[in-house]
Amino acid sequence: MMDFDFNPEERVLTCIFKGRLDTILSNQLSAELDSKYISLSENEDINGLLDFSLVFDLKDVSFISSSFIRLCLAGKKRVRDGSFCILNSDPFIKKTFKIAGLDEILKVK
Amino acid sequence: MTENLMERANDILERAILAAAEFQEFNQEQTDKVVGAVYKAALNARIKLAKMAVEETGIGIWEDKMWKNVIGTQLVYENIKDERTVGVINDDPITGISEIAQPLGPIFAVTPVTNPTSTAIYKILICMKTRNPIIISSHRNAARSTGEAARICYEAALAAGAPEDCVQMIPAGSRDFTQTVMAHPRVALILATGGTGLVKAAYSSGNPAIGVGPGNVPVFIDESADIPFAISSIIRSKTFDNGTVCASEQSVIVEEKIAKEVREEFERQNCHFMTPEEIQKVEQVAVIKESMSMSPFIVGQSVETIAQKSGISVPIGTKILLAELKGVGRDYPLSVEILAPILAFYTAKDYNSAIKLCIDLNYLGGIGHSAGIYANDDKRIMEFSQLINAGRIVVNTPTSQGAVGGTFNMLPPSLTLGCGTGGKNITTENITVKHLINIQRVCRRKMNDRFFSIDRSKYLDENCNEADLRFEYHKNH
Repeated sequence: MMDFDFNPEERVLTCIFKGRLDTILSNQLSAELDSKYISLSENEDINGLLDFSLVFDLKDVSFISSSFIRLCLAGKKRVRDGSFCILNSDPFIKKTFKIAGLDEILKVK
Repeated sequence: MTENLMERANDILERAILAAAEFQEFNQEQTDKVVGAVYKAALNARIKLAKMAVEETGIGIWEDKMWKNVIGTQLVYENIKDERTVGVINDDPITGISEIAQPLGPIFAVTPVTNPTSTAIYKILICMKTRNPIIISSHRNAARSTGEAARICYEAALAAGAPEDCVQMIPAGSRDFTQTVMAHPRVALILATGGTGLVKAAYSSGNPAIGVGPGNVPVFIDESADIPFAISSIIRSKTFDNGTVCASEQSVIVEEKIAKEVREEFERQNCHFMTPEEIQKVEQVAVIKESMSMSPFIVGQSVETIAQKSGISVPIGTKILLAELKGVGRDYPLSVEILAPILAFYTAKDYNSAIKLCIDLNYLGGIGHSAGIYANDDKRIMEFSQLINAGRIVVNTPTSQGAVGGTFNMLPPSLTLGCGTGGKNITTENITVKHLINIQRVCRRKMNDRFFSIDRSKYLDENCNEADLRFEYHKNH
């Protein structure tokens, strides 16, 4: 489902997703992600920009729903410009971001 | 001024309408006689027209233009000659539906500078076969050769009994006039082959249009491919008419594990990998950075000319200039479509990364056009094809010739390649006669027994749900 890997020196949070990220699961992950962001951030303003970079690793993901794409967009908005990227997307998932017109904005690699 | 343009447009369309009126009286035999005559005259003029086109436009190689003329005449003719395009073209006693082909009316055809005579002949042939008069608007730099192709076809058509004014040319060079004719209410269809601006103008005219989109053809060489064969095929295609075919290869993508072998094979077959300095010089002359589009001055030019213009020196006999690039888009000008013997080359760390690069290149201005794959693994061929947005995915085939059809595969030969909605087109098909007829369907009474056997009061009963109605519909069948 979802694992976290936080590198405190470089201040990078990698969220490693697994399986089918359908609407129901994505909605469940949303709250979990939010609390993770807040727990790691040293920024006193909890609604302010996070003080670390965010990486979504999709290595073992077979399907993403539009809700998951919204989670990506929400993640991107929480960090400084250029501090969000998506790694290891499968070609089919890459195409999904491409069709949504978001592969560049979300830095899908 | 505007009134004058409209008057001139009215005159052209009046002539075309009279031709259309007469044409619709033709039977299949009379029609085929005209098509046969046009084909013969155009095929006989193949060399003269090829030489004229190269001389006038300064683009490409006459021998290859000659081959394009052969595709536009002989191959198109052989493909369409036995098709029924007049009267009842299909009659199905089981469904009770008969199909009748009707001509559309005056067709406004725009022809490009890169393939002027072959496109004109091909469009005239498919219009004559469908009994539609054609009005040709050529690119201003190819007006003389296109005009000569049209004249030869028109005279042959007239001699075979075709209506007067069934082929007309409008003077090239006036954009306003072209747009006035294009938007004229009596134009039945626009057949637009040309740049993006022109195709957009065609679709915005208010008349139905069949346009084409721009290409940016990626070619993936899989590890299962026969590499020397793949490279010689790519060279054959990319050097054809100095790369002017819009389906020609624009980038080659390989996995790291075969990159060295592919590179060495390109070099062995006289292609030159440019140094980063050379790439910088070539991109200055090949691409207009502001618009990220190819420069018209290098379209269809030889390697020698491009090298000379860029101030680089390459061995004599170099066939293609290859640019090894690390990315796609604005920072890598040579990743865009360039109709000249310049080819981008990418190495990806694994299969998935290679395919993702192909997707990026495909979406960089070439959605819906064509793509190529060299592989001997059908699973990969099908996977690649599903991931790429292209009207034609040609397999183990030079993309220029493969996409145009008629030679390396069974696609209908055509010089107008639909690019689907991705390329802002209505179809992904190769345009041919079936797109130039209105098919009327005569639908004889054939009762739908299932529907009429239901007690229809059940539909008015709120207690009857889908399952009940489905049961009723299929009962006793």
